[in-house]
Amino acid sequence: MSDDGRIVVSGLTKQYRKVRAVDDLSFTVQSGRVTGFLGPNGAGKTTTLRMILNLVTPTAGKATIGGVHYSQLAQPLRHVGAILEASSAHKGRTGRNHLRIICAAAGFPLKRADEALELVGLTPAAKRKFRGYSLGMRQRLGIAAALLGDPKVLILDEPANGLDPEGIRWMRDLLKALAQQGRTILVSSHLLSEMELLADDVIIIANGKLVKQGTMKAVINGLSTTERVRVRTPQAQELVKALGSEVSVETDDDVLLVTGASAPEVGAAALRAGVELHELVAEKPDLEHVFLELTAGKAGIR
Amino acid sequence: MGLIRSELMKIRTTNVWWLFGIGILIFTGMALTLWLFFGNDQIHQMQNAANFTPPTGENIPPEEIERMRREAAFLADKDRVLHLVASNIYTSGQFFGVMFVALLGAILFTNENFHQTATATFLTTPQRVKVIVAKFATAIIAAAFFWVLTTAINAAAGAIFFNAKGYDAQLTQWPVTRAILMNGLAYGLWAVLGVGLGVLIRNQIGTVVTLAVTYIIGTQAVQLVFTLIHEFWIKKDWVMDAMVGWPSVASQVMVSPEEAYPGSPKWWVGALVLIGYGLVFGVFGTLVTRTRDIS
Repeated sequence: MSDDGRIVVSGLTKQYRKVRAVDDLSFTVQSGRVTGFLGPNGAGKTTTLRMILNLVTPTAGKATIGGVHYSQLAQPLRHVGAILEASSAHKGRTGRNHLRIICAAAGFPLKRADEALELVGLTPAAKRKFRGYSLGMRQRLGIAAALLGDPKVLILDEPANGLDPEGIRWMRDLLKALAQQGRTILVSSHLLSEMELLADDVIIIANGKLVKQGTMKAVINGLSTTERVRVRTPQAQELVKALGSEVSVETDDDVLLVTGASAPEVGAAALRAGVELHELVAEKPDLEHVFLELTAGKAGIR
Repeated sequence: MGLIRSELMKIRTTNVWWLFGIGILIFTGMALTLWLFFGNDQIHQMQNAANFTPPTGENIPPEEIERMRREAAFLADKDRVLHLVASNIYTSGQFFGVMFVALLGAILFTNENFHQTATATFLTTPQRVKVIVAKFATAIIAAAFFWVLTTAINAAAGAIFFNAKGYDAQLTQWPVTRAILMNGLAYGLWAVLGVGLGVLIRNQIGTVVTLAVTYIIGTQAVQLVFTLIHEFWIKKDWVMDAMVGWPSVASQVMVSPEEAYPGSPKWWVGALVLIGYGLVFGVFGTLVTRTRDIS
């Protein structure tokens, strides 16, 4: 995949009457990877995505896809597919007609609509009116619309919202498959565990500003939280004694949370003291920890 | 072209087109019936007046007889009567048909907000001006369609009517042809005005109410206000001329073969006013829409 799918955001700012929704935001989304776009509610994720797609006019800064502004793409749907919130279809129109209308405007053959419906498994409901679609079916129709032009870049705003577990899993598999075909995928979400499974890179924003950008691994490991070991034992007191005074221990029922010693060290100490262990786990920091730490106090209503 | 095709599909794939179509057909049918009865009556009067013989008797003064003769001659004026009757029949349903077409034009844009399809539309075509131009073109096509449809129905009924009365169908008479053409112009211009208003106001219900009130109640209210101003305040002729500035009055001025109201300006002034409204709304709405946030 060439540079075509790179999304570059530089100095992007959106000032609403009283709120600076996005504040001098800059980041780059690499092509051929899944990038998770994270932030607390109201962080400016949706506004940023809409500015990239020329739906919201920035107060300052710019965003380009493959080096050009969205409005300058000759055939935008061939380059970029998007699923956004507050995007819908006419309630009285069938899903198939909704897609055919987009095909006509984009200059695609109308039969692309049927192919896209097939791709997302909506063919049985193709001629049903949008009014009767479940949330999951609506989301699938949105994806079908995004895939009409077989785009290199996919931008998705909270695609898992309102999906049931099966739907979420379907979405994950689909996005992974699309990424493996070499497409650029920028997906915003607040389902952090889901993101950890899906994304190669992460961009975290809060209050409209960039907090962290990097590969998933680097972001998670880059956090300075000291490693903790979780131990469950019926002989808590003996174990604490055996560990010595250099480590600090928090107790929670029969669970000990040990900082200052690695899991092998704790295991060795327990063996020497003849203490029985039921559980010994090194707690790795996960995306949720990192996210909450990085965005602490920045969430909420502005 | 793709955009216009897409816009036409938007109309065709919802209930809108046949609901509006039925509305237009019902009102056209009702108006047509009325005008046929009116025409029948007028032609009857014309035939009676043609056989006018001055009453004989001593106690009628000669001036009174002269007045009656003139009135009979007016009623018996065959060209005048047939042109009037034909014009009315062939433009039956204009009042509500034009309103429906204007509403159709208006919701072309407001629907996009109402059903949150603006996002999909502008993602597909980021050049928003193109989308709006396509909507104007689509509204004009829809207006032309409904004009042709209603005119065909009226022409069929009118031809049968005149044939039964023993007259020519009058379709080739210039005053009649002119009325039919003006009817088409009214359909087209109101469609444009509707789109412009929809682009400007955005809100579906707000636009529809504004348009319907302007169109239906507006005319009478404006005529009343201007007449009162003319009678009691500014007794100048330009006051009555200025009334044409109100779109629905302009429309009447345009389609009326004679003066729409005492002292009304020429028909083309009405046409210009309507074009002006459509352009101003459309251009201003387009400028605003170009940078408006879609969410």
